[in-house]
Amino acid sequence: MTSPPPQRPAIRVVLADDAALFREAIAGLLRSSGLEVVAQVGDPDGLRAAVAATRPDVAIVDIRMPPTYRLEGLKAAVSIRRDHPGVGVLLLSQHLESHHLPTLLGGNARGVGYLLKERVSGAAAFVDKVRSVASGGCEVDSEVVALMMGDRRPDLDTLSEREREVLALMAEGRSNRAICERLVLTPKTVESHVRNIFTRLALPAQPDDHRRVLAVLAYLRARR
Amino acid sequence: MFLVSGLGVLLGTAGLVFKVQLGYHSLADTLFDGIGGFLFVAAGVVAHARQPANRVGLLMVLVGTGSFAEDLQLSTTGWVHTVGLLLVRASSGFVTHLVLAFPSGRLASRLERLLVGTAYAAVFVLTPVGALFDDTRRGLVPRTNLLLVAPDSAVSGAIEQIVETVGAVVAVGVVAVLIRRWVRAGLPLRRVLAPVFLTSLVGGASTFLYGVLGSDDPLRVANRWVYWLAFCLLPLGFLAWVRRVRLGRTAVGTLLARLREPLSASELQTALAQAVRDPSLRVGYWRADAEAFVDGDGQPLEMLRADSGRDVRLVERDGRRIAALVHDQALREDGHVLDAVTAAAGLALENQRLTAEIRAQLAEVRASRTRIVAATDAERRRLERDLHDGVQQRLVIAALSLRLAQQRLSGTADPETCALLANSTANLAAATGELREFARGIHPAILTDAGLMPALRALAQRTPQDVQLAEADVPRLSPAVEATGYFVIAEALTNALKHAQARHLRVMVECSAGLLRLEVTDDGVGGADIRAGSGLLGLRDRVSALDGTLTVHSIPGRGTSVSAVIPVGAGGNESAATGGR
Repeated sequence: MTSPPPQRPAIRVVLADDAALFREAIAGLLRSSGLEVVAQVGDPDGLRAAVAATRPDVAIVDIRMPPTYRLEGLKAAVSIRRDHPGVGVLLLSQHLESHHLPTLLGGNARGVGYLLKERVSGAAAFVDKVRSVASGGCEVDSEVVALMMGDRRPDLDTLSEREREVLALMAEGRSNRAICERLVLTPKTVESHVRNIFTRLALPAQPDDHRRVLAVLAYLRARR
Repeated sequence: MFLVSGLGVLLGTAGLVFKVQLGYHSLADTLFDGIGGFLFVAAGVVAHARQPANRVGLLMVLVGTGSFAEDLQLSTTGWVHTVGLLLVRASSGFVTHLVLAFPSGRLASRLERLLVGTAYAAVFVLTPVGALFDDTRRGLVPRTNLLLVAPDSAVSGAIEQIVETVGAVVAVGVVAVLIRRWVRAGLPLRRVLAPVFLTSLVGGASTFLYGVLGSDDPLRVANRWVYWLAFCLLPLGFLAWVRRVRLGRTAVGTLLARLREPLSASELQTALAQAVRDPSLRVGYWRADAEAFVDGDGQPLEMLRADSGRDVRLVERDGRRIAALVHDQALREDGHVLDAVTAAAGLALENQRLTAEIRAQLAEVRASRTRIVAATDAERRRLERDLHDGVQQRLVIAALSLRLAQQRLSGTADPETCALLANSTANLAAATGELREFARGIHPAILTDAGLMPALRALAQRTPQDVQLAEADVPRLSPAVEATGYFVIAEALTNALKHAQARHLRVMVECSAGLLRLEVTDDGVGGADIRAGSGLLGLRDRVSALDGTLTVHSIPGRGTSVSAVIPVGAGGNESAATGGR
């Protein structure tokens, strides 16, 4: 459980959580692990401003923030990913839910994370996830993935070469249409490949965007 | 009354005898005067019989009698002739009084009293004064004026001219009053007034012309005919009114017949409106507890505004207020019908009042039940948030501190301390997880954040058995409806897992035509009973608080289906997006 030696330059973090006590706890953990907390904010507007001003490597965002304490954090995370593609976003949630995952990823698994808030208490393990997202990785809470998968484990070996190509492009966040153009395939063929990927990875019956996320996660994990 | 009528008949007969004896009166004069006079007496008697308290009947008889008394001066007998001279314009005063007092029998304004007073003064004071100077000995038929003081045709002519001028002025006043009344009257009143007012207007105009036209004017003869016609038609107009009174009674009879059957509030209102012939009639029922009038459905009734042209008749029974009839002001003129109708409908109104009161109380109970459900939901949401934002955050922070302590001590402290710390962090992590699921059971945040369908998907996702959830297009609904729908399905799934030994679980949701339909079916052992202490009984109360229904079909050996239908308009208008901590 030892953290890797601090890299140069230090990873720069913006923290967004309306609970100051919790924010301070995370900030203390990150600083002691050699990361630099460049800003701490308590609401979505402050978060956007801080990100635009400091261009951090990663923003850690609580899904619940003022004014309504619903999904302000999620919306802010999505807008940061859209406006600042170089900034990693790690969303923390009190709730074990997979529903928001497709919204957060938006088909792009680069520099993004979705973790239960209680993972913070994992200390070094949590810091590792922060580093991963900061360097372009994709970190989805293992319990969320388990929830989505049921008991099944995806196995990439069952995929054909063409299906792996399609899946790799899906992991890059490309839409079916973009995949058609890239691989010079008809939309029907691509759709058929995507369906096969879902079937072969034994992804449970769910809305397609959930299954897409799961397929991407399976691909990312297999590559490690 | 009957004395006057008898006198009228006597005088009328006498007048006819005189005219026939004299033989120089035109047939028309004799006929019209006779017919008109007798019609007035007859109509008056009928009207009096119908409404003894109303002075209109008496006035009608007085008009007829007065018109006959005018003919007394035709007598050659000295004292009869003299009395006749004193009463030579008697009918005009009574006609003025009658027309203005119609139909209530009372004079309503000072102007009306002034007009009537002036007419009586001219007829019964000025005319007799003129008689003192009227020498009738030199007429076509010589008669003896016993009261003759100074035979002076100039004085008597001047007085006659004054009387006729005053008559014309009074006639203008009467016509003006009638026109004003007509303009102000509502439809029901106009129906009462029309026949009398039209003939009165014609008669009034004719009287005016009589005073204005010179005695040589050829139009005067034609005008005389118009006057006669109006004079004869006037009692017929009153008879039409008398008939309406009778019709009103018939309407009350019809109402009584209808009241033998139990009527709904709206049927009763319609029946009453028909009986008094005022389609705008509304019935308000008194709620003693709320001190307010409500309509038949228990909804507050908007009572009168000033100037609305409407009036209220309070209905009481045994000294207690039970209802109010809001009606056209004109019905005051037709008051007897309203009296009869309210008397006849008293019992029915009392019954409807009780019904309306119960409905109003029921509506209040329903509203409060809905409010209780909404308050419970709000409380659960608050609890869930407080758990996450308070306890859970502190647990996480404590676990983090322990973990950091553990990291710092690793390798330096004794293994038992390290094991204790590890044990503590593991327990804290487990507690955090349990707390998360506990809070989720109180109220799943995703229901508030994303709506019913995503919440049900999440529920199916974590149900330890495969749940077939049919995708449906469900919009955001009120928090009470979303929460009730969610908990119905959650409870039904829990029951199925616990008791049904089912292989397949199916959840169907549909939202259309203002109704949210939910169904959970399994292929398990069946035989579930909603009364057997399951959570479904409480949920049925919740569902019916939202005006919905919850049914359980469970045949032993053939599975169980729990279905609920909830109107989506239920549970108030609190938006699903209402936030705050």
